[in-house]
Amino acid sequence: MLTYTLLAGLLFGLYFTLIGLGLNLVFGVMRIVNLAHGDFLMLGAFLAFWLFSLFAINPIPTIPIAFLVFLLLGFPLYYLLVPRLLRAKDPEMLSFILFFGLSQVIQALATILWGTSERSIPGGQLGRAIAAILSFVTGRTIENGPIEILGQSFPAAWVASGIASGIGVLLVYWYLYRTKLGYLTRAVMVSRDEAVASGIDVDRISAIAFGFGLGLAAVAGVFAPFLLGSITPAMGAEVTITSFAVIVIGSLGNPLGTLLGGLVYGISYMFMQSYYSSWANLLPYLLLIAVLLLRPNGLLGRQARRA
Amino acid sequence: MRDVLLILVPLVAAFALLPFVYSNHLLLFNFIIFIVLAQGVNVIYGFTGYLPFGYVGFFGAGAYGFSLMVLHLQAPPLLAIVVGAAAALALALVLTPLFRLSGAYFSIANLAASLAVLQVVANPNLENYTRGPYGISLSGIFNPPLAYATAVAILAMTLFAVIFLRNSKFGLALQAIREDAISASMAGINVVRERVIAWLLSALIAGLAGSVFAWYASVFYPETVFSGEFTIFAIVFALFGGTATLVGPILGVIILYGIYNAVGISTPQYFQLIYGALIIGLVLFLPNGLVSLLRRWGIDVP
Amino acid sequence: MSPETPSLLQVTGLVKRFGGFRALDGLRFHLNAGEILGLVGPNGSGKTTCINVISGLYAPDGGEIRLGGQSIGGLPSHRLVHAGINRTFQIPKPFLTMTVLQNVEVSVAYGGHGQEGLDPHYFLKLLDLESHAKQPAAELNSAQQKLLDLARALATKPRVLLVDELAAGLNPAELEKIAAKLKELARSGMAILVVEHLMGFIDQVTDRVVVMNAGKEIFEGVLADAIRNPRVVEVFLGQDDAA
Repeated sequence: MLTYTLLAGLLFGLYFTLIGLGLNLVFGVMRIVNLAHGDFLMLGAFLAFWLFSLFAINPIPTIPIAFLVFLLLGFPLYYLLVPRLLRAKDPEMLSFILFFGLSQVIQALATILWGTSERSIPGGQLGRAIAAILSFVTGRTIENGPIEILGQSFPAAWVASGIASGIGVLLVYWYLYRTKLGYLTRAVMVSRDEAVASGIDVDRISAIAFGFGLGLAAVAGVFAPFLLGSITPAMGAEVTITSFAVIVIGSLGNPLGTLLGGLVYGISYMFMQSYYSSWANLLPYLLLIAVLLLRPNGLLGRQARRA
Repeated sequence: MRDVLLILVPLVAAFALLPFVYSNHLLLFNFIIFIVLAQGVNVIYGFTGYLPFGYVGFFGAGAYGFSLMVLHLQAPPLLAIVVGAAAALALALVLTPLFRLSGAYFSIANLAASLAVLQVVANPNLENYTRGPYGISLSGIFNPPLAYATAVAILAMTLFAVIFLRNSKFGLALQAIREDAISASMAGINVVRERVIAWLLSALIAGLAGSVFAWYASVFYPETVFSGEFTIFAIVFALFGGTATLVGPILGVIILYGIYNAVGISTPQYFQLIYGALIIGLVLFLPNGLVSLLRRWGIDVP
Repeated sequence: MSPETPSLLQVTGLVKRFGGFRALDGLRFHLNAGEILGLVGPNGSGKTTCINVISGLYAPDGGEIRLGGQSIGGLPSHRLVHAGINRTFQIPKPFLTMTVLQNVEVSVAYGGHGQEGLDPHYFLKLLDLESHAKQPAAELNSAQQKLLDLARALATKPRVLLVDELAAGLNPAELEKIAAKLKELARSGMAILVVEHLMGFIDQVTDRVVVMNAGKEIFEGVLADAIRNPRVVEVFLGQDDAA
């Protein structure tokens, strides 16, 4: 039971990291709060759902599709909303309200298009793809079914999303610390004004980060039907709060902090589920408030966030 | 004084008299509740700049404080309303440490707090105390006319509070704090205390609204009175009309809640689309609300 | 003032740390009623931090601040204001959307002196802002915003006034006027601490200067002696405005 809870927590923790990653990137670079983050995740989930039900496309190839589509969607959206917002007196607070509006628009459009019914993708779909990939990599025939780790068996979807999330974290880390653009992105994170002064095209860097943020949310969305249960147009709000809990527990702007936050969140969530299930839903809220009040800079953080 | 005569008295009189000529009393009641809540948001957001994203927590606390008094102690409704308001105040007091957080963090933490309260109230383990997820039924005290009259009285009190804020030294201090907390403290203002007072006043308003809502509805679920829609509507109505003013939130409720009742009830998603787009437009083009537009045209509004 | 009479403001061993950096490192000076004291030193020597600590923006990490013999270190700003300390800001911080008059009214109302006959218009007239009374503070130019800052500070009837870089950005005529105002205030018994880069202004208004370096005072006396002091010269070496 203990091993199972820990490992499940780890897998979910990785997934929660993926959920929080995009939100954190957007906040870190633009100091704005994308309250529609969960709704972009929802759109990613529906993209996976429709590609599967209309064209029988497996969720695994949907991952890069979702990332690209939302990356590209991010650019016009950025130029439409953000530069104007950043010129305002209190962009952080205003962004909060603005993206709340965007969240409502997305939710409304999704409801108008797809109705309010709950949808899901059969869990076996992801498992089949995983089994196929594993067979190809190992050269042996791997049966579709639960995957065993340390004697505990987990749904293949959990393992798949854990792996994909891990890759996602590594990619963001690689982007920020090993590429030219990432180097500039970090400069903007440290000080937007100084970056402008040193001739960095801040808007371009920010637009890319914004697109990345949406892309990561959409990728997390592809896994949502397998990890978060059935999907609905209204699912975004709760996801946004969870993402907040994750990135606040870690620390803002720091991708490794998000990983820590995701793991802490995932593992404590699984422990609550296993041992105090009826109170488990309280956890994200209490954790969020406690961390904000006790360690306002997150577990890894330094930036001040106090009034 | 001018505001009392020109705004408060006519509006309260209208809501007091309309039931005699208009039969949809529930709709009138809801208008009152939303004007009260929008003004409550106005008190804390308009005058201090802290956006209470979990404002409904106080509304729900009021509703449950009221209902539990009636259920467990068979208290008369008017006494139970006092307890409901006290419950909201108590929650607000517990949450005062959130003011250590700035801007969006305050809002997120406040939202998390209201959801946490909902999770506690609706928890099946507490069924004996709160009825858990099965909801509240208060058939014994069902008395819509009296509850409606009480709501009108709460509306009057709320409007009076906002008029007081706009015309008093205290309101000036709150505005100063919102503009620049450091400068405000150098003007001799006890920033922490004044903010908390505004917070408590705002929670009190929501607690009263929640209590009287519970009384009027008599049957409801935890999700009803802790629904995020109360927060969202109240904030959007207040922002749309213009915060830190008296008429802004009233205009916002009358126009937007009017539209909602025309198109929103049958097709809520279209209303959601409209108000989502409205919010985006407001933030980008009219961050100070409808009232600022009127002022730009040279119409002075309180 | 004879040494046995305590000064109005007495600062001893004041320490303020930011992380590992000691912005104030045992600063000591005193300020008498009716005196204008200049606080000078190179950038980063701790002048503004000193004002921020005395005015309660930061709590001190060590040392003592006494006002009229009472220890006041670490009190919140509004209580210091009520005790008789106020300040201006290097970058003025008016309440932008409020009118110029309301800006001063807030200080009159909350400055700790009740309404006892304090007229906000008096302070506006004193600083030539009366004609802007009904305008929002945002419409003032930056020199006028500085004067508004000063008007707001004066409206709380301070015994000790801390002035942070008031002169920068004012034209010579305005400088002349403000120097005269400060001297007049000092004559009425106010103790004034002036942090300033413009040495001409310091020379014109101050009775005495304290030179700071690395969070400590290294000289105390009249400006004419300071510029002949070898330690002071060393600290300012390469700094044009020391000349």
